[in-house]
Amino acid sequence: MKRLIETVSFWIVIGLVWEFGVRWTGTREYVLPALSQVFAAGWEMRGQLLADTLATAWEVFAGFALALVGGLAIGLLASMSSIARRTLFPLVTALQSMPKIALAPLLIVWFGYGFASKLAAAVLFAFFPIVIATMGGLAGVPRNLDEHFRALGASPARTFWHLRLPAALPALIDGLKIAMPLAVIGAIVGEFIGSESGLGHLIVFATSNAQTALSFAAILMVTALAMLFYWAVELVSRGVWWRGVTV
Amino acid sequence: MALVDKLRIVQRAAANGAAIHPLNKDETAPALISVEQVGKRFAARGGAQAFSALEGVSMQIRESEFVSILGPSGCGKSTLLRMVAGLVPCDEGRILLGAEPIGAPVPDIGVVFQTSNLLPWLSVGANIRLGAKLRNLPRAQVDQRLPALLETLGLTAFADRYPHELSGGMRQRAAIGQILLLEPRVMLMDEPFGALDALTRDRLNVELLRIWQQSTLTVLLVTHSIHEAVFLSDRVLVMSERPGRVIHDVKIDLPRPRQPDQVKSDPLYGEYVSQLSKLMGVF
Repeated sequence: MKRLIETVSFWIVIGLVWEFGVRWTGTREYVLPALSQVFAAGWEMRGQLLADTLATAWEVFAGFALALVGGLAIGLLASMSSIARRTLFPLVTALQSMPKIALAPLLIVWFGYGFASKLAAAVLFAFFPIVIATMGGLAGVPRNLDEHFRALGASPARTFWHLRLPAALPALIDGLKIAMPLAVIGAIVGEFIGSESGLGHLIVFATSNAQTALSFAAILMVTALAMLFYWAVELVSRGVWWRGVTV
Repeated sequence: MALVDKLRIVQRAAANGAAIHPLNKDETAPALISVEQVGKRFAARGGAQAFSALEGVSMQIRESEFVSILGPSGCGKSTLLRMVAGLVPCDEGRILLGAEPIGAPVPDIGVVFQTSNLLPWLSVGANIRLGAKLRNLPRAQVDQRLPALLETLGLTAFADRYPHELSGGMRQRAAIGQILLLEPRVMLMDEPFGALDALTRDRLNVELLRIWQQSTLTVLLVTHSIHEAVFLSDRVLVMSERPGRVIHDVKIDLPRPRQPDQVKSDPLYGEYVSQLSKLMGVF
């Protein structure tokens, strides 16, 4: 309880500094709106804000899910097959090394202005850390346990299911924690380049119309959304309590 | 025959004062494990010279015998144990279980390692059952054996705990339990108590002696401890420095069944310990 009070008080102080800092310095609204003006603008446009939040949330969610499936698949393949490690993995690394923002306009050309290009951007951003985390986690299985399973005559499938996968989970979860905010960034970048909906679109639209308060409301919404998704991963990660436990 | 039944029969025999263990009664009995002229070389790495870890190693272990292998560090005794387990291939010679060459892990052989190798995400009970699950033992059979086994190992109260909540000695007990649940004919042990403190080690030696005397299990134990080897074994094999060879085969003629509280006060015990110490070059 005391900790909660500490955390909440901290944020209230930040909010107050923002609010009165803006007022006392007489900063103009289109440069930096006060917090109350941000809330007012958000409330006024609440229908739009909510619709755009949902659109972005869906892109992030779907993009993250797709990156998870694809990243797991590539990571598994690369950890099991040396051919995949020599062919597929360098390709993934090359893709990762490209500035992904530079690819975003191309994604619009390929996938259009709608949902698909945002999905592609979110996947592109979130994919790599999941591949790396999967490979690292699977490679990190202690050798003594591997040998123990061999001595017990365990099949490769059972060794994977009962040993490799649970042993890899802590590292994999770390990868997901990195990938989750990246999926949000991907979706927003996609919306920036070209779109008709989503919080990224709202930010660009509001800023270009000097509606800075609305732009801030959208930014706060993106932040809240990203934190919510991150917490979801964090919640799942609590199920993997054996991180760092050695016996 | 289930482990519990075996225990009961043996206990009855003990009550009648009869010879308890089939061991050593027939020294001409055919070997259960035969190691025949086994050699192992390790390939060179990074320009280093290839070296021979084991050379011309031979030994015979009969059913229900308790045999220890003593040797200096790096003499290849752990490698030898892994070869018997089917985990490491022989470069020369062969190893037989009965009449069958061992080329891969087999259900008749269980291995207890120096590390307990318990999975941190499974409860102690689930860890003990894991081997049976991986070996496809019928669930009903496992359910039937488990309670008595947990009781024997003093783990009944800890079955729902997780390995990290247990002491090192308890974890090693669970590791032994995992193998005993499989009821193998042979239990290979690679310095199973090497990482434990002296007191816990002595206690587990007593428990291992008790469990083994009440069963028909064949045990091959790799150890650094002369005391442990004498206390437990029917025979102690002494290996040389690398390349490892069996250079002495010492029969430990302490009476069976051994009473843990009496063995160490037997003058013979001290003689065996000092004899082996000399053979090992301790003094």
